[in-house]
Amino acid sequence: MISVQRRSGSSLSWNVACYSAAMICAFLTSAALLAFSGGDPAKAFSALLTGAFGSQNALYGSLAKATPLLLVGLGTVIAFRAKIWNIGQEGQVFAGAMAAYWMSLWVAPLPYWLAWLLIAIAGLVGGGVLGLLAGYLKVRFGTSEVISTVMLNYIVIYILAYLLDGGPWMESGLTVAYHQSSPVNPLLEWPILLGQGSGKMHIGFILALAAAAFCAVLLEKTSLGYEIRAFGSNPTALRFRGTNIRRLLLVVMLLSGALAGLAGAGELFGTSHRLRAETLLGIGSSGIVVAMVGGLRPSGVMLAALFFGALKSGAIYMRLKSGTPAGLVSAMEGLVLLFFLCAAVATKLQLVRVEEKVHA
Amino acid sequence: MVRPVVVEELLKVQNLTKRFGAVAANDGVSLDVRKGEIHCLFGENGAGKSTLSACLYGYYRADSGEIVFKGKTAELNSPADALRLGIGMVHQHFVLVSNFTVLENIIVGSSDVGVFLNKSEARRKVVALCQECGIDIDLDREIWQLSVGEQQWVEILKALYFGAELLILDEPTAVLTPQQSDQLFRIISGMRSRGLSIILISHKLREVMQSDRVTILRKGKVVATVETAGSTAEAITALMVGHKVTKHVRDRTVTPAGDFLSVRNVCAKGDWAEDVLKDVSFDIAKHEVLGLAGVAGNGQKELFEVLMGVRAASSGGFSLDGEAIVAPTSREMLDRGVGFVPDDRFREGLIPEFGTAENLVLGWQRAPEYRRGPFLDRRKLGVLARKKIEEFKVVTASAELPVERLSGGNAQRVILAREFLHARGLLLANQPTRGLDVAASEFVYEKILEKRAAGFAVLLASEELDDLLRLCDRIAVIFKGRIMGIVRPEETSLLDLGMMMAGDAKEPERTVQ
Repeated sequence: MISVQRRSGSSLSWNVACYSAAMICAFLTSAALLAFSGGDPAKAFSALLTGAFGSQNALYGSLAKATPLLLVGLGTVIAFRAKIWNIGQEGQVFAGAMAAYWMSLWVAPLPYWLAWLLIAIAGLVGGGVLGLLAGYLKVRFGTSEVISTVMLNYIVIYILAYLLDGGPWMESGLTVAYHQSSPVNPLLEWPILLGQGSGKMHIGFILALAAAAFCAVLLEKTSLGYEIRAFGSNPTALRFRGTNIRRLLLVVMLLSGALAGLAGAGELFGTSHRLRAETLLGIGSSGIVVAMVGGLRPSGVMLAALFFGALKSGAIYMRLKSGTPAGLVSAMEGLVLLFFLCAAVATKLQLVRVEEKVHA
Repeated sequence: MVRPVVVEELLKVQNLTKRFGAVAANDGVSLDVRKGEIHCLFGENGAGKSTLSACLYGYYRADSGEIVFKGKTAELNSPADALRLGIGMVHQHFVLVSNFTVLENIIVGSSDVGVFLNKSEARRKVVALCQECGIDIDLDREIWQLSVGEQQWVEILKALYFGAELLILDEPTAVLTPQQSDQLFRIISGMRSRGLSIILISHKLREVMQSDRVTILRKGKVVATVETAGSTAEAITALMVGHKVTKHVRDRTVTPAGDFLSVRNVCAKGDWAEDVLKDVSFDIAKHEVLGLAGVAGNGQKELFEVLMGVRAASSGGFSLDGEAIVAPTSREMLDRGVGFVPDDRFREGLIPEFGTAENLVLGWQRAPEYRRGPFLDRRKLGVLARKKIEEFKVVTASAELPVERLSGGNAQRVILAREFLHARGLLLANQPTRGLDVAASEFVYEKILEKRAAGFAVLLASEELDDLLRLCDRIAVIFKGRIMGIVRPEETSLLDLGMMMAGDAKEPERTVQ
């Protein structure tokens, strides 16, 4: 008889086996889904791969898509490691983009590097303040951050709708129907480091990598990281041992929101160059998926962001080439998450052979 | 034909082994329990008492070995199986519905309850049970109105109502006053004379000596099963630890001098705004251990929280070394050199997912001595952890192994190591030996007395009254948030303490310093 038991340590080979199995399962179920919806899985997957890695530009495009996911994922890691369930990344991405856009209306006369810095900071502050607001509601009134962050998403998204649909930021000379702002001042666009045409990787990718290194060091090496991890394990003991856990919670929400806000700013000034809800929608929720798949570790999040970036980038090509419905890509994302979460549980278990009891 | 004398065996355990990973919690355990006997399982922490009882009650499935109940091999896959066979268990933490009546709690979940409760039939049965065992309880009171001791009777009645012939009691006196414990033992012996068998898990010698036989476990193995009447407390202890244990006593040549902590008229509210501390005043001098005796839940926890700065006093206050402490925070108290050993060690004293090394600096993670620039000095933490693991004899695979995987005694050693390292002047210890075995407790006491010798003021709350009497310079008794009196050990008896702990206003001579 084989019995399933908790594993006392962790084993690298078993981890690899679990996550490989998860990948294969996600791949097979996605293929089944494609076949069911009338597509040709082989054709679709080859289109997906070509779209993601087929050329240098495709590769840069994948990195560009990975950039906001990595930043949001890192913000999620900071919060989730403290077991603070910030799931308002959508709104924080929007708030970051909006704050950065607002800043760009003022800083054009300044030297480029200063303007760039101020825009990036505005993005951080925009997302951070929104996170901080949810944190304040929790500290002051005991509001669950799960509820408040999600509700704030709606508030922020509708504020943007107001600003763009007949509000002060509506593109001049156009009707409401476009729901978008005028293009940002071209002089303020973030520098493109690699690629051209459809596949351009902007400086935000470097920022995101730096943020990943920052988060890894923060969590594992610093006193603040110690407190964040301790908060996630046992906030009561931390409070008994002299840490102001209210302040800590605010700091975590600020950091978490700021990283999402930077993702919004980067997306606006590096990729879309126009404030528009559709280009920002879904980054927050995908970023949470990336954080979970990455095992809430900055290094894992980096890999997961690259994977999901490639998936998103390849999906565009797949849709054009094989006519698969757009919704399938979200479904595939969901399947990957589902199987990875299963794998994460499986890594903590082991199979043990148990001798059968012999009854007299 | 000569018939041998048959002692009727109710339960027979043969060669039972239960492993957790590489560790054998029970290693070839064999034991038999006779009909109508009180059989004690005695052993240190981690000796395998709880695992064995969990196997008997169907929580765990033994890896190998056999459990024979009433002459038949018992297949115990769940507590429901155990109950069906007639094995009941009363846990340390009661599983009662607090706004149900006694009767409702007893009959809830029993198989003869249909859609509609037939209470009159059940009542007759329960009343009969009460009479048989000599339990005097009002069946219509709700659980929350009962004392802890009475709640325990309800648990016992529940098991008996379900038809238990073998009752397992897991450290039943941990939450009782001495008087309540005596009552419990009267009930248990009543049950024995009705032919019921009782397995009593305990590490208190006084209780062990009231059993018929005792099986001593050490490191998962049975050391011996002895007839209690033919043995002595010393012999049984020696069997349990494998060597002789020195009991520490305070050094009377060192005398307390100079008040260090002065608590004046402290009142405080509990989590539901109820009054938990009422006008508490006392002093502790340097070189003094002040004991705090009381049944758990009489305000000890809140008193420690006030002194630690995590609960605000609603009036009154305290001073430390002559300096009044105003609106303290836990940060300030730590910085003032107060060491704190909380009673709920995994909830209030440790970060379960952290290893020993990181837990040793909990509260001091920002202290310059453990940092290098903005970073925690991991190397220094590692060196410190290895030193303390050795000094405090913490049994752990490594300094990084999460402390949630340590036994209660080892986790406590990690806390002690941290507090003794950082405290300067005042040590607050709430139930530091709760759940620890004799040897581990003595280790804690030895360390506390070392601090006393070094000039510390120590507040030591404990339910082990014998220990308080030999360790403390004075003992304060707390009942319902009020200090009932402060007595000197040499002028007081266990009985006096018990009376005061139960709220007896007839205080023994009150000693005022």
